[in-house]
Amino acid sequence: MPLLEIKNLHAKVGDKEILKGISLTINGGEVHAIMGPNGTGKSTLSNVIAGRDGYDITQGEVLLDGKNLLELSADARARAGVFLAFQYPVEIPGVSTSQFLKTAINAKRRQQGKPEIDAMEFLKLVKAKIKALGIADDMIRRPLNVGFSGGEKKRAEILQMTLLEPRLAVLDETDSGLDIDALKVVSEGVNALRSPDRGFLVITHYQRLLNYIVPDHVHVMTGGRIVASGGKELAETLEAEGYAKYQAA
Amino acid sequence: MAASLISAHPFGDAYAAKAGTLSAGARIDALRKVARTEIGRGLPGPKNEEWRFTPLNALSRVGFIPAAAADDVDVTVVPSDVPRFERAIRVVLVNGTFQPDLSDKISGIDIRPLSDSDAALGQTATANLPLVALNTAFFANGLAISAKGHQPLAVHIVSIGASGAEPVAFHPRVLVTTAPGAELTLIESHVGLPGQPYFANPVTEILIAEDARVHRYVTVTEDCDAFHIATTGVTVAARGCFAAFHLGLGGSRGEGTVRQEIHARVEGEGAQVHLNGAYAIGGGVHHDFTTVIDHVAGGALSKQMFKGVLDGKSHGVYQGRVRVAENAQQTDARQLHRALFLTAGPSVDVKPELEIAADDVQCAHGATTGSLDPDHLFFLAARGLDPETARMLLVEGFLADALEQIGDAHVREVFGRQVAGWLQRRGGAS
Ligand SMILES: Nc1ncnc2c1ncn2[C@@H]1O[C@H](COP(=O)(O)OP(=O)(O)O)[C@@H](O)[C@H]1O
Ligand SMILES: [Mg+2]
Repeated sequence: MPLLEIKNLHAKVGDKEILKGISLTINGGEVHAIMGPNGTGKSTLSNVIAGRDGYDITQGEVLLDGKNLLELSADARARAGVFLAFQYPVEIPGVSTSQFLKTAINAKRRQQGKPEIDAMEFLKLVKAKIKALGIADDMIRRPLNVGFSGGEKKRAEILQMTLLEPRLAVLDETDSGLDIDALKVVSEGVNALRSPDRGFLVITHYQRLLNYIVPDHVHVMTGGRIVASGGKELAETLEAEGYAKYQAA
Repeated sequence: MAASLISAHPFGDAYAAKAGTLSAGARIDALRKVARTEIGRGLPGPKNEEWRFTPLNALSRVGFIPAAAADDVDVTVVPSDVPRFERAIRVVLVNGTFQPDLSDKISGIDIRPLSDSDAALGQTATANLPLVALNTAFFANGLAISAKGHQPLAVHIVSIGASGAEPVAFHPRVLVTTAPGAELTLIESHVGLPGQPYFANPVTEILIAEDARVHRYVTVTEDCDAFHIATTGVTVAARGCFAAFHLGLGGSRGEGTVRQEIHARVEGEGAQVHLNGAYAIGGGVHHDFTTVIDHVAGGALSKQMFKGVLDGKSHGVYQGRVRVAENAQQTDARQLHRALFLTAGPSVDVKPELEIAADDVQCAHGATTGSLDPDHLFFLAARGLDPETARMLLVEGFLADALEQIGDAHVREVFGRQVAGWLQRRGGAS
């Protein structure tokens, strides 16, 4: 059974159809990249997978391990293993990063019937992971994402992904706003999580990220449809030739 | 203005007769006489600007009797949800009367029954307020606390309101005086027992001498249909500091009305007033913070931050008046009120008033009202937090910078737990 199956997915916002029949299958261990110009529906697709309100799903299915995701609330999807790394992570004043991380870890543990993580174990776990991601120790004491640089916010997203060990990770333009050093660190964080029982959907506008997170499959998305699919070399062609030929079509 | 008064109220001659003899000496008797005349004119009505948002009509219609006349009230334990504070002497009042059996042994600090020799009584700017007059007319036995040097133990006043078959009113009176350079921490827990409504009408006067510091941490928890209308008058001499935090919680049962009114007069150069608070209310609770800061001397600072979380059909009020006299140059006065609505039901009234006669001052006020950000809720949902857990985390986050104003780490932790308890009860209720 595939890890993720999207079948003929149509979604509207108000009267406007944004996703016009997306189909995509991700097997365990695979990294799929979706590339496309701005405004094409990439964030809409990731939001629909993650269960954000405000979209009207008019047709199609999204199955995680054969289970219909569309009937679950966003939080239930997350606990079932869906992780969305946000294009624009929100700043939440007053909520310390560590308090948030602990609450998120415990939400998952409760789902699995495990007891809450103890304070020492949590600290040890987080310390080890932030070191690998080059995150400053004091970051976890600061309010979540408040005053973080673009790079720090994206590292924080990868930290959350690492701690929550998702079944499916959707990365929405994780490369946007990153300098080359941050891009390398973030990519290493993602690569370290690649495993046979995890799938990735990496959404990006530029090919650059895919030099560091090398995908198994690349899809081109324009106008709410996947218009071409291929191997990693498709990303290079796109980088050289642009999206024009797909948009004209 | 007679039109702005409620003349039909329960605190007339019959009430006075039931209250019994309250004589405490010539000076206090004289104060009482003036106060009785004042009350005879009426309570502030809805047309009175100061009371527009917290009308006393409902209160005026309850047939309160003085607590002294209620012979069917017997409180033998302190309610278990009243927190214990470390390094604090607990002083318990039931319906305004000191309970030695429920209190800690008083030692190491000067706490006495209020007496005629307490010349400082009635000397703060609040003396002429109608609800203070009501207290002055009828307080049964007050407390006088005086601080010299650094007081290592805090005073924790637990004021319990309880009615028997008939609703009672009581008028706790506390006078705090300080010697120059003294430092005192005063903690107060105001709670009520379920049953008939009661009316708590506490008045606290705090006189802060030169270089003295008073830290005050107040919690008012009204879970029944009670009225709690509290007035505090503070004066701060040169380089003195008044740092207060007020917490108002209520709403899981009943429809209480709470007003915490604080007047601070900045009388000396370089004085500081830090007046902060938070409230979390639901049901039909009404909570009012009214503050008046009078900058009479210059080079002084007043900072206020109030935050409210409102659920159900609750109603919040913040009225903040700052007056800066002409010669109070280089005053720095700031105030902020922020309200967070958890449902579409609540409402707030906010009225900042800056009256500034001096020219070289910094004054700022801000007010916002909003609900939880759907982007924040989705972010937390996408990390697996169920909606209730997400809301709790965001509400605690909203209140965090207000609670951070509590200088004492232990008190901050206890107050934080009380807020968390409110949120959990709310979660269970919805
Ligand atoms: N909530 C919304 N309301 C109205 N239009 C929207 C909304 N979200 C997205 N759109 C529109 O849908 C299209 C696709 O947006 P988006 O999914 O953000 O694209 P991408 O991530 O590929 O840049 C855009 O034309 C955008 O304006
Ligand atoms: Mg996008």
